[in-house]
Amino acid sequence: MSAEEFLHFAEFELQIIALSFFAIMYAIKAWTMARLPMRWENAPAKGSPGNGVAYSYAATVVPWMMSSATQHWTRWLEFGLYHIGAGLAILSTFTLPFTPQIMTQPVRIVFAVFVALALVVGAIRLWRRITAPDLRVISTPDDYFSLAAVEVFFFLTFMTLVVGTDGWRLAYFLVTAAFLFYVPFSKISHYVYWFFARVLMGVRYGRRGVMPRTGGAR
Amino acid sequence: MSQENDALKTALQELDKRYNKTVGVASSNLCTHCGWCVDQCHYYLATKDPTISPVAKAERVRRVYKRHHDWMSRVFPRWTGARELTEAELDDWVEVAYRNCTLCDRCMANCPLAVDTAQILLAARGVLLAAGKAPEMLVQLADSALAREENLDFFKEFFLEQLKELETEVQDRLGNDKARIPVEVGGAKILYVPLSGAHTITPPATVFNAVGESWTISMFEAANYATYIGDIPKAKRIAERILNEAKRLQVEEIVLAECGHAYHAMRWEAPKWFGGPLPFRVRSILEVMDEYVRAGRLSLNRANNPEPVTLHDSCNLGRKGGLFEEPRRVVRAAVEDFREMTPNRERSFCCGAGSGLVAMPEWEDIRLKAGGPKAEQVHATGASVVIASCDNCRHQFLELNEHYELKVQVMGLAELVVRALVPSSSG
Repeated sequence: MSAEEFLHFAEFELQIIALSFFAIMYAIKAWTMARLPMRWENAPAKGSPGNGVAYSYAATVVPWMMSSATQHWTRWLEFGLYHIGAGLAILSTFTLPFTPQIMTQPVRIVFAVFVALALVVGAIRLWRRITAPDLRVISTPDDYFSLAAVEVFFFLTFMTLVVGTDGWRLAYFLVTAAFLFYVPFSKISHYVYWFFARVLMGVRYGRRGVMPRTGGAR
Repeated sequence: MSQENDALKTALQELDKRYNKTVGVASSNLCTHCGWCVDQCHYYLATKDPTISPVAKAERVRRVYKRHHDWMSRVFPRWTGARELTEAELDDWVEVAYRNCTLCDRCMANCPLAVDTAQILLAARGVLLAAGKAPEMLVQLADSALAREENLDFFKEFFLEQLKELETEVQDRLGNDKARIPVEVGGAKILYVPLSGAHTITPPATVFNAVGESWTISMFEAANYATYIGDIPKAKRIAERILNEAKRLQVEEIVLAECGHAYHAMRWEAPKWFGGPLPFRVRSILEVMDEYVRAGRLSLNRANNPEPVTLHDSCNLGRKGGLFEEPRRVVRAAVEDFREMTPNRERSFCCGAGSGLVAMPEWEDIRLKAGGPKAEQVHATGASVVIASCDNCRHQFLELNEHYELKVQVMGLAELVVRALVPSSSG
């Protein structure tokens, strides 16, 4: 297999294999959670479970809804930038090989800026995890590795977007594939459960009239 | 050794039994160990001990769940910090789930991923109960509620005598010798369920008489300590005593005393235990007083309460129960100077005594320490009266008052209302 063929394989066939594996693992995870027993709220409602769920999801992205965000707004900003960067880096794994025509120079620059910011935030997060006693005490090898692995992924995404030579491209897609095989087993898979958790919290707090808040200044 | 193995076996079976959707999601890889919850916990704020932050506490239970349910943790437990359940681990859980957490839910409300730490630790409480390691005092308190039902005739005689004395106090306060604390009145609209103290009987009785309510008092107490130890069958039996009484008397609704966990248990949890909505409307006395105030049925004179007053949002009534505005409307109608604590409502801090901790004298040190953030909140308001509409919170505030020299008066909402009551308005 020539270098060119290998790059093609990494960009297409390998990605499809890795994505399929990833999707199957996530489907199993979601199915496993969905079939667990649950005693849903069944007391006469005071509020709306639907509004509660909407509020619950919104609370993640609207900083004034949680005091953990309002008290540490820079941390919330880091959280936002990190996840925007992650989203764009993931999107790039699809757009670069499958819809290259939309990855124009300005688009690449916008993507690269956000991914670079996420890379910086990731480094700050890693440093904090290593040095802050309250984080160190709860950290596992998976925590450190996952953060470091995402940093590598961000770096390669950035280089592929900015430089884009075959070498960077190959490294980027190989790491992406490896990532897709690892993520379902690591804490990076947290977002699958996030959908469940936000619904569970929203239904409970919404039905009980806790969320959305109806009175008083924050 | 064999006894130890049996306890572990039972604990593992119980652990599995409690692995439902809520616990399953919360003990999965959902938690990224980001640490946002750390300084949202009153224990951490009071001690600065990272080992008792919400995530650190939940992790001690989660790592055992992960060992059994998480793919990576099954194969490479060290990689994820997963562990097998051991006797030592169970002993640690007693500290983690009972001593160092009041299940206040504040961490979940402030978690970007909505990790339900309280449910993980409640599951741990249930496991400890099954393994015979739950605090004896809490088990006994739950049992005593059932003992009252079994020896009702004995209790009834004593209770009726006590009620006669309290009735006189109500009559004196209202200047009305027809005021009553009715017992066993079939067809009454309200079955009022008090706690053991007279402060949960006399003030509500005064309010009911003042508005001319159709009511009768329950022979039982609203408290349900079985919920604290995660003993659902027992909690169900405790609730059932009141439901049976309500059915027998054919009342329209059950009204609970100012008690956080009793409200949470009967209003929101009991329908789950019984598999559907209860045949009665369930309300807190706070909601009933709010209704009276809004309907203009209570004539209150704010000048009777001129001092600055603040209100504590009990976790079970507020963050877990949804009662935020009801007590506030009543307080505003009854006092001249109402001062909010910051933060308040769903962001309120736990008083430090929730979830049964108040009943554990051996943990008084941490309870008072964990009440520190709440004491600071009270102090910052400059209030001289604190309204605590939960008996456990009230008890804690009395101790915090002394410990932190807050120089405040602690009372329930009904007591505040009675102070503002204009007797001539009696219905």
